[in-house]
This record gives sequence, C-alpha cells and structure tokens, in this order.
Amino acid sequence: MPKVVIDPVTRIEGHLRVTCQVEDGQVVDAWNHATQFRGFEIIMRDRDPRDAWQFAQRICGVCPTPHAHTSVVATERAMGIERVPDNARIIRNMFEATHVGYDHILWFYLLNAFDYVNVPDALNASPTTPALQNLQSQLRAVVESGQLGPFAGHWWDHPGYLLEPDQNLELVSHYLQAIEIQQISNDAQARIGGRFPMVMSFIPGGMQERLEIEEIQYYIGAMERVKDFVDNVMVPDVLALAPVYIELAEQGQGVGNYLSWGLYDDASQEPANRVLPSGMILDRRITDVQQPDLNEVRMFTKHSWYADDAGQGRHPLDASQDPQYTELPPIEGETLPSGKYDWSTAARYGERNLPMEAGPLADMLVAYGSGREQVVSLVDQTLADIGAEGQPQVLMSNLGRIAARVLREKVNVDFAYQWAQELLDNYGNGDMQVYDAVDVPDSGEGAAGWSAPRGALAHYMRIEGGRIGAYAAVPPTNWNLSPRDDDDVRGPLEQTLIGVPVEDPERPLEILRTIHTFDP
Amino acid sequence: MSEEMSAFRGVTRRDFLKYCTWLAGVMGLGEAGMARVASALEAAARRPSVVWSSFQVCTGCAIQLLQAREPTVQNLILQQISLDYQDNVMAAAGSAAEEVLRQVTEGEDFYWVVEGSVATGIPGAMTVAGRTSMEVVDELYPKANATIAMGSCAAYGNIQAARPNPTGAKGIAAYLREDGGVADPVVVNLPRCPGHGDDLIATLTYALVNGELPELDAVGRPVFLYGQTIHDTCFRRGHFEAGRFVERFGDESTGDRDWCLYKVGCKGPVTYAPCGRNLWNGNVSWCVNNAPCQGCAEPDFWDELTPFYDQVRGGDLPGLYGVTAEQIGIGLGIATAAGLAAHGVGTAIRSRRTTRAGEPGRREGGEL
Repeated sequence: MPKVVIDPVTRIEGHLRVTCQVEDGQVVDAWNHATQFRGFEIIMRDRDPRDAWQFAQRICGVCPTPHAHTSVVATERAMGIERVPDNARIIRNMFEATHVGYDHILWFYLLNAFDYVNVPDALNASPTTPALQNLQSQLRAVVESGQLGPFAGHWWDHPGYLLEPDQNLELVSHYLQAIEIQQISNDAQARIGGRFPMVMSFIPGGMQERLEIEEIQYYIGAMERVKDFVDNVMVPDVLALAPVYIELAEQGQGVGNYLSWGLYDDASQEPANRVLPSGMILDRRITDVQQPDLNEVRMFTKHSWYADDAGQGRHPLDASQDPQYTELPPIEGETLPSGKYDWSTAARYGERNLPMEAGPLADMLVAYGSGREQVVSLVDQTLADIGAEGQPQVLMSNLGRIAARVLREKVNVDFAYQWAQELLDNYGNGDMQVYDAVDVPDSGEGAAGWSAPRGALAHYMRIEGGRIGAYAAVPPTNWNLSPRDDDDVRGPLEQTLIGVPVEDPERPLEILRTIHTFDP
Repeated sequence: MSEEMSAFRGVTRRDFLKYCTWLAGVMGLGEAGMARVASALEAAARRPSVVWSSFQVCTGCAIQLLQAREPTVQNLILQQISLDYQDNVMAAAGSAAEEVLRQVTEGEDFYWVVEGSVATGIPGAMTVAGRTSMEVVDELYPKANATIAMGSCAAYGNIQAARPNPTGAKGIAAYLREDGGVADPVVVNLPRCPGHGDDLIATLTYALVNGELPELDAVGRPVFLYGQTIHDTCFRRGHFEAGRFVERFGDESTGDRDWCLYKVGCKGPVTYAPCGRNLWNGNVSWCVNNAPCQGCAEPDFWDELTPFYDQVRGGDLPGLYGVTAEQIGIGLGIATAAGLAAHGVGTAIRSRRTTRAGEPGRREGGEL
C-alpha cells in the first residue's frame, strides 16, 4: 500500500508533514506531524504576568493579534479583572477586524489559490483589457526568463486544474491585488498597534492609549477599501470557483464536532453574546448549539513528543509540557508513524474526549445554529448561489471550509464600521477611558477564549508569588491538527483526509487541498 | 502618449527612479547614489536568486516582508529578485519543493535569507523534509553568496533562546561559531521582531550595488541601518528633555500629548534600530506611537530588557544625569565584513569559506 508523504507542506504557517496511506485511489489512513517545537510555555514561567501577551503573540506571526488579545484577557482573569472599560472592548474589536481583514484575504489568495489556479495556463488566456494584457506580458517575461520564482516546480500539469485560461489570468491579477489589500488592512492595524506583525498597544486592564480621531478615520477608510475588495472580488471569486470544483462538497466531512469560543464582544463582554457567539455543535446537530467551558478542555500526549501521560487527559495548565523527542519515520520506505509522532498535543473536549473541528466553518455553523440574523441570511444566500438551497450540511466539507472563511470575512467587513461608530459615540458622551489599573496579585488563575482566524484559541494562566507559575496556550492547531489521542482516536485533519481521492500518488494535489482548507 | 519605460523590466522610468532615490536614501548614499543604484539594477542581466529558509519560526518576518511598499511586493518578486524558495508563498510542496531547492542551490549563486533560530539542543525541534536546522545550515552556508539573518531569531535566537532555552536555540552566527566549526562566520544580522522587510531589501540592494556587504557593528548589524538609538530618533524626545513623562497608561499625558514613555518601560535609550527613520507598514506608524519600545533589535532582550513596563535597568539617562546611553546600553563596536571585494553588480559575492576541519578559508575577492 503506497505511503504518500508531503513534507514540507508549503503555504502555511510553521512546519508540517502529513503522512497518508493510499489504496485504490483513496486515502485510507493519515497522520499529521507538526515538526516544530519552541517551548513557549516553559519560557514564560516565572516572568512578570503583564508581559505574557508579548511572549504569547510570538507563537504565530501570521495571527499575533488574537494571540496577544486572548493572552491579555487570560492575564486579566488571573489578575481578577472580569471586564475592561467599554472603549477598550471596542478598540480590541477594531484591532481584530483589521486583523481578520488581512488574514482571510492572505489565506484565500496567497496560501490556498495555487491549489486551484493554474499560473502558467494564464499565458494561454486572451485578455482584452490593458491591465490584464500587461499582467500577462509580465508573467510571460518571468516564464521566459527561466526564473519562475514562487511558481517553479509545482504540479501545474495535474489534471485536477479545471479553470479556463482567462479565469486563471484573472485570478492571478486578484492574487496581486490581494497583496495590496492585505497591506491596507494591516496599515490600519499598525495605526492601532504601532506596527504589524507584533503589535504593541494591549495592556492588562485595557489599552495603553485611546485611539485618536485621525486613527479612527484611518481605520474607517481602510476598512471601506477592504470591504470593497471582499464584496466585489473575493466573494464573487469563491462563488465562481465553487461550481467548477463542486466535487469538494463531497470531500472532507471531518469529525462532525465544531467548537467556537466566539468573536467580537458586545457591551456585555459575554462570549455567548458575541457577534459570532461561543458555542459547540456535536455529532453534526446544527440546531443544537451548546455552550462550551474553557475548563473542560483536556490535553493528551501519548502520541506527542512530551513526557507520556497515557490514559490521562489533563487540564491545559496541568498537561505535560516537557519535550521528549523520539524520531520521525523516514519519508522513504514503508515505515508508518507509531508511538510519538507529533509536536502538537491532542486537545479533546469534555467527558467523551471529543475531537473538535475549529475554524471559520465552526464559527459560522455555531452562529447559524444560534440564529444570528446576518449569518443566517448570508449562509442561506450562499447555499442558494451554489445550488444547495436549505442544505447547510453541505458546508461540512472541503468546499464548506473554503466558503466559510470567505463568508466570515464578509461578516467582518460588514461589522467593521459599527465599532468605529460605537467608539465615537462614547467619546461624544464624554467617556474617554481605555484603561483600569490593577496590580498583579500574589496568586490567581484565569482562562480566555477567542475565535482567531484559524479557529478556537484559548490561553490559560496561573499566577504564583506574583509571577507566571504556569501558562498554556491551546491554539486551533491543537484541535485541527491534533495527533491521535490516548484512545487512538484520530484528530480532525487525520479523520478528514480519509476518503479523499488521490489521482496520482506522486502528485497528491487533493491531499494538499484538503490540508489547506484548515489553514494550518 | 505612453509613459517612458525604463530598461528595468516593464517599470515606468519615473517609478523606477523614484524607487532608486528611496533606496539610495535608505543606504545612506545621498542623491549622488541614486544614479549608481539605477545603473547597477539595470545592468543586472539575471535577477538575483534568493533562497529563504525557515527554521524555528512564527512566520512574522515573512508576513512583514509582504508589507513592503518600495518596491511593491509584486515588483519585488516578479522583477527585482527571483524568490526561488520560500515555503510560505511557493506553489510547490513536498518533494517537488525540495527538488526546487536542490536545483537552485547546486548552482551556488544565490543569496541565503534565514528566518528563525537553529535548534541545537533538541535537533528534532525543527525539521523540514526530515532535515534539522543544523543540517540545512551546514549545507547552505558554504554555498551562498551571502547569508542574511532576517529578524531577531535568525540573528540571536530571540524568544526561543530566552531562559531556560528549552531547545538550545541559537542565531545562525552563534551556531556556526560554536557548533558548526566556522571560526569567523560572516552573517548580516537584521534583528527586530519581526524583521523589517525594508531592511532586507536595502541590504540586498546594497550588496548588488556595491559588490560587497555593508559594514557591520559588534553584533553583526549593518551600521548604515542600525547606527542610532530609538531614543535619538524619537518624536517624544523633546518631552524627555523637558522632563515630561507618562507615569501611567491611559491618563492625560498619553493620547495626543505624546509625553515620554521612559518611566513606563521604554527601552529606546538602549536600542539601536532604524524604526524612527524607516517606520513600519508603509511608513504609517511605529511602536512608540502607541507604546514604549521593547528593545526587540537587541540580543537577549527577552531576558535583559524585561519586564517591559518597568523602567530600563542599569542606570539613568543622558540629559538627566550625564550618563551616556552607551554606558548603560548593550554597547556598540564596529566590525567589518572583510574579505570581500567589489566586482560590480551581478557578480557573486563570496563570504569567507571554512572547512569543517576548522581552517578559516579566507578568500579575498569575489571569484565566480
């Protein structure tokens, strides 16, 4: 039975290998291996709790802002702070809106598009506009120079590429536009945070400075441009791609459990009241949304390169963080992964130790099942547009993961202006407060959850003697790319890969596509 | 009437000269340097090949490079350089990606950019295609025209190397010197966390235009970029001199009053970096607009310059008590990357070569 290994999985953040067994043109088993460890939680021990978020945002340079934000809220909870001033709540929403604004655009065009868009085939297009003609001649110059750069060596002749040459050329032009638009969103983020990546302006208790009027204006102008691109380029692109690649709706159904900690606080600062509310869906029951508990998360390390606690699911703050590397099986040969094979630990939920899928699909399904009006109409309209009216279960697929990320961006830009308006209203009413000073206590414990662009993100902190006694981050990787747990139940990506067709094991494009739907 | 095109791959003459002027400014060449930059870029027949390795990373440096404006990212990757291997943006994956790397590097005519630290204590803490970061350095450092450490991780180990450094993380130069058997490695360090895309573009262009690497300071940073402290270039400096300090976040002294952040933890006086001259994200902002500087361009800032919101340790400040920033800072000395000679643009630059036996194979001149 052929073993198919992709290492490196490119166009992601970090380092990932995926091993699959392929039989009769289908994946029959799969293992994912995060091949990087840095030891953040060990490094953060015994430091000033106020500094935690600065460490934590370096976990991911693609999504530092939600890490910083979630970490600072976990620090607040450990310090006994349950709420921040309303202006801080709004500025944090604005911050996240600029971040989501860039992130989903980056993913859809820079990380995911080359799985469907054939760049060399754009040379066969017959463009009629000067802009596209110019782009085509630029591309031709690159190809004729023999220096293809990022386009070199890919499986461009794979039969799975189905777009027409004109569509390919147009999408390459959107790819280049996307680079500019993500910059515009990040410029607004830098006006709030000093720079991007690695933002500067959070502080336990609120924000370090209030936003000045010109910073708010800048945000509004930038988000208008992002919204214009999302409404007129990105959403139409996904609707144009869906019918061509409709087989994606038959692939990658996954584990059927979905987890969201929620996105965008309203004035109550309660996760269940967020624009995209916290919630979970079990066994594909979309209409039965339950509230998740941050303290019901359990970590397993039987198959991870940490000290072994077989049979022991542990609370994140009590889970093993001590590295215990063994080996990766060689790429060649028949050896399959066994024992420990992953730097990611396995996160599971509740009594049943459930693997949970996290990400925009989970966020959108939970919001849909919770009856959030904007989300319901948006999802229903999209289902109608792709010929699946009234069948939200169609979204539980590779296609759904792609579409949900685009729709989540749409929700983001539709709400972006509201935060600026709320902030200006508060200013107008004389409320300028952004910070409540609180001293670091001698002891405390806290947790916070948020829906980062990749999905459910949680941070946990224990303060001992005024210092960080224990720290844990449970990012979406620990859910989506978890290895098998102590009962050998596969993680979501491993499960999702099973059944994916593979036309040519030498060029496993379908496996790459499936991995990318999780934005790993 | 169509605009006059430059000889430089389909860019208008005006945009091209504007870009050259900007680069000459960043490189400290002044107006006279603009013509040199322009002729050097136009003379390059083949786009310089760039190989980007990611080791223990968060990918922040790559994301920062995607924020570059001058040139636009599009012009950078389609016209100025050939970004032949970069795992976040390249189309190819798996063995196809590794084959691209093999083909590009066997020609030994490429600039090597590294993001991330080298894991020396637990080699398996970072693998790509089954190879550790140490194995990749051992193979590519001797082959590259020049090695550029993009960001604080590749330069000094950064956050991974903060105590207790569970993976034995090191910067490239430290790994080469301490474990790799290279007595005197030549690595251009471009620290900041994340690394700044403009620093990388300026350094690559400097090497192309001058045929040699820029002069480096004691910790491997180009002097033309890292010669001044944040404090020296800060717009809040007047408040510092006048003794007006923010004592507490969010009060009247913040917001649009811009008082000095020294007392709430600014590390600007001990941090050498160009942030105040080349701002971030298309020049729209920089950290001290919104927060105290955290010193991210300095080696070991996670241990030496924390807590971030406490006043900098080690003394007082110039202007107040007559103690110089150098005395309390991490020190600035000047070292040069010797052994390189100008051969004009397009000529391969050769760093010092060293055999594994440890003989410094110093090679004068840029042999091809």
